[in-house]
Amino acid sequence: MSGLDPLPLSGRQPRAVRSALAVLEEVVAAGPGVTAKEISAALKLPQATTYRLLNLLVAEEYLVRLPDLRGFALGRRAARLSLPVVTTPPTAARAVVDHLRGLVRWGVHLASFTAGQVTLVDTDPDHPPAEPTLLARYPHASALGKLLLAAQPDWRAVARDLRRFTEHTVVDASALDRQLSTFAATGIARQCGELRPDRGCLAVPVRAPGTGELVAGLALAGPPQRVAEPNDELVALLREHADRLSPLLA
Amino acid sequence: MRNGALARLRHRSPVHGLDRRNLRPVEVLAQSVSTAAPAAGMATVPAIVATTAGTATVWSFALATAVALAVGACIATFTRRMAAAGSLYSLTAKGLGPGAAFACGAALVAGYAVLLMAALAGAALYTGAFLTRVGLAAPPAVGTAAVLVLAALTGGLVLRGVRVSARIVLAIEAVSITVMLVIFGVLLAGPSTPPPAPAETPSWSLVGVAAGVLPALGAFIGFEAATTLGVEARRPFASVPRAVLGTAGLVGLLSLLAAHTQVVGFAGALGGQPEPVVTLAAAHGTPWLAVLLDLGITTSFVACTLATANALVRVLFSMARDRIVPRRIGATHPRYRTPHVAIAVAVPVGAAVPAALFAAGLPGLTVLRGLLSVATAGYLVAYLLVALAAPLFLRRIGELTPGPVVVAAVAVPVLAVVCGAFVVSAAGGPVPVVLAALVLAALAWYAALRIARPDELAGIGVYDEPSAADVHVVSGPVGRAS
Repeated sequence: MSGLDPLPLSGRQPRAVRSALAVLEEVVAAGPGVTAKEISAALKLPQATTYRLLNLLVAEEYLVRLPDLRGFALGRRAARLSLPVVTTPPTAARAVVDHLRGLVRWGVHLASFTAGQVTLVDTDPDHPPAEPTLLARYPHASALGKLLLAAQPDWRAVARDLRRFTEHTVVDASALDRQLSTFAATGIARQCGELRPDRGCLAVPVRAPGTGELVAGLALAGPPQRVAEPNDELVALLREHADRLSPLLA
Repeated sequence: MRNGALARLRHRSPVHGLDRRNLRPVEVLAQSVSTAAPAAGMATVPAIVATTAGTATVWSFALATAVALAVGACIATFTRRMAAAGSLYSLTAKGLGPGAAFACGAALVAGYAVLLMAALAGAALYTGAFLTRVGLAAPPAVGTAAVLVLAALTGGLVLRGVRVSARIVLAIEAVSITVMLVIFGVLLAGPSTPPPAPAETPSWSLVGVAAGVLPALGAFIGFEAATTLGVEARRPFASVPRAVLGTAGLVGLLSLLAAHTQVVGFAGALGGQPEPVVTLAAAHGTPWLAVLLDLGITTSFVACTLATANALVRVLFSMARDRIVPRRIGATHPRYRTPHVAIAVAVPVGAAVPAALFAAGLPGLTVLRGLLSVATAGYLVAYLLVALAAPLFLRRIGELTPGPVVVAAVAVPVLAVVCGAFVVSAAGGPVPVVLAALVLAALAWYAALRIARPDELAGIGVYDEPSAADVHVVSGPVGRAS
């Protein structure tokens, strides 16, 4: 996390901010691989200024410098500038989720990961889930979020604020790292009272057929002490429905 | 189509396995400051500089600071644009190509390895001096034992994780610098009663000041070590250049303070004083400062040992990922995420040399000076090459502006002259023999690689490339024809 300068804007800073945004816009317009010189020419900005702005935007991870070291592309942090586009799941997928709801007495929720964060797309009307913005912003504290983090090459870039919600929230980075490795290996994520003391959750991945890419997560929510149990039959049921969802969501 | 630009992205970084993006800026800074080990330099270097520069010693340090800042600016040219673990070796590869990068790598490995040996020797030597000063005369075997114990601790901590070792380095270095500031503060504030001048002092001359730049630069070597933490630093493009330039500035200020205090304290007759700070402390009626000084220097060398070991193993790790040293050395520990094989290779070698030299009964100060001299040679070559590489790198990526050219145009000739001065000053004694042997070994290694691994050699310069997961691909129509 970067500490932001509390000083008010002064002098030529407003112009620098405008130029930085123009550089970002130009990278989007020109597409990945655009070079510093091309950006400078397109925006009619002095070269030294353009290079400095580019280095700043790379340092802040809004841009990345591509492996040829000449070209630029949007960085992962730039994804946070746009509203996540998530489509409602098709009727066939909702039917699979509803079928599971008929079989268990737990809350059943489906979340999409395609926007790079946890986005609930089908929630259980009888068991309302946690606040969607909490799930999106603090993936370290939910089972669905942990599933998303476990699939990242570098989860620290996604979970920037390991906030404590209850006494059970895992806020230590290395402890979380060990937990995520376990979840990645077993293919199931679990949290017991980490976001709300009276709620726990089990979540399994829904992967795209063929590529195996993580596209969604299917979760069961219930009392934390029940979640902590092995729940072998329940997990088997959950996995079976996740498998049925995979061709419908990819 | 521009889309081709993304086709070269790998699925994971070629330096995977390290504890990526996890160090705070102050921990990155501590790595550089500790490798430069300002405390030992503050106590000993001004007297060496003064033998040629006399009363103008402070000017030699000011010039050396300017040179270090110029080299730091050249390094920052790279570190604002790429995050590497191989220090100047990986950077030079992007500007000058494989041959020069190999030379830089060999010089840097020698520099870090011998500095590790020197830091171990220094820590043992000043621990002994400290014990003697508080009345516990230590038998000679203590030196060898201290080297081995410290090396074992260093190996363990460096293995245990970069955050752990970086935090300990930061704590120890903070103690060391605080102690040194107290010492020089007391000396400056105290009454000026110059001790009798034993040596003839050279008067002010331009040649004298210039000749003093070489030993003064010796106080800075290691200031680039933060460049080995590019992969592990949290915001490397901001924190690594700041750490390198900040260390050059900080060491410069501390050295200027030390030089000024000592020149004033000896009323100009500083040149060739064997223990200037101790003599000054005695003349000021504050002999307890001598104990504090030994403590400050010992802690500085301990921090330097840890930081240099951190740096050395990461350069070896990068070379192994480049396949120019055995591939096993590029392995990382699955839990601690440190290059554990490189540690197992490098730290025992680093400990064996000073331990053997102590065990052979060589005087500690001779060992320390000889080792520091060899290390300086390695660093000077690496600095020269990276300064030369900076503008060429910018030209290659199409981002050349006049500023970096001017900086390199100043730094390169000055460093070339300093290298020449080093060769002249090192003539005689065992140092040139050791250096010649190292150069021959590097040449033989290079020749073997040219025959056995020409392709790997041509592609050296591994760094933390962005992987597919780091790039945000815009959905919808991406790119346009260009």
